[in-house]
Amino acid sequence: MNNRIMIVDDNEYVRASVEIICSSAQLDLATAASGPECLKHLESGFKGIILMDIMMPGMDGWDTIRAMVDRGLYDGNIVVMLTGMGEPDGKMEGLQEYVSDYMTKPFGPDQLIESLEYYLTLLNTPVDYER
Amino acid sequence: MVIGVSTGGPLTLKALFRELPALDAAFVVVLHITPQMDYRIAQGLDAVASMPVALAEDQEFLRSGRIYLAPGGFHLRLDGNQRVVLCEGPRVNYVQPAADVAMLSLTRQLKGKLVGIVLTGMGKDGAEGIRHIKQIGGITMAQDQQSSTIYGMPKAAAETGAVDFVLPPQKIAAKLREILDPL
Repeated sequence: MNNRIMIVDDNEYVRASVEIICSSAQLDLATAASGPECLKHLESGFKGIILMDIMMPGMDGWDTIRAMVDRGLYDGNIVVMLTGMGEPDGKMEGLQEYVSDYMTKPFGPDQLIESLEYYLTLLNTPVDYER
Repeated sequence: MVIGVSTGGPLTLKALFRELPALDAAFVVVLHITPQMDYRIAQGLDAVASMPVALAEDQEFLRSGRIYLAPGGFHLRLDGNQRVVLCEGPRVNYVQPAADVAMLSLTRQLKGKLVGIVLTGMGKDGAEGIRHIKQIGGITMAQDQQSSTIYGMPKAAAETGAVDFVLPPQKIAAKLREILDPL
């Protein structure tokens, strides 16, 4: 069973709090401080739930998703966007299909765990459907 | 019934459908989704819903008491309000499947009810569809701001002036139990 989570956020305090929450729920966490670090994890074979900050210097969350799709690294992952903003910006247009959920920071441990557990259930659903 | 939903959709649909008993209606859900995830989302919803959930198949006739999820990578139209047609074509509102495509394919019917609902999501997909459903005599609902993960699509729908009820998912479920017969 896959119980892998990746937090992609340039804020070390956010990464640390997600680390504490995931460790209490016995989830396997990878951390990335930037979009390129996230892509490196994916290129090394990471598959799981990706908690992606939108506002990051240089390559932001949307640029990172676009790169994942373009490089064929999206499949097998579920992306949940994290933001401190009230509303997402227009860069999201056209990327909706790749984002399953959206959480506004700060989020509580229960809220995070409930979402992660549900998406892990989906991710671990065997796909025996042939179109 | 056609439901349009995007970001925040999987958990919102779960919250809505776990509140619904089997009802005498066919539910078509257009969630902005990739082909890699559609089957998993359908299975996740099936685990909590009282009605069976499956991916909609081309040329399939809708049956009452079932939930159909539009598969990723296609648009979904309903011929004669009851036969599924999956079609390729350009993205609409930047997405495929688009709720507007499914909703705008509906036609006025002499008996039975048509219901259109727009739930959480970025953008404005579903707004034109809701306006159309209202024009052909349907009942329309949109998720309220407080409960929406992203208040984009429901806001655009509400701003058309064609939405009858603006409610959180639990109250949408209560309203559906009120207007639809049990199966």
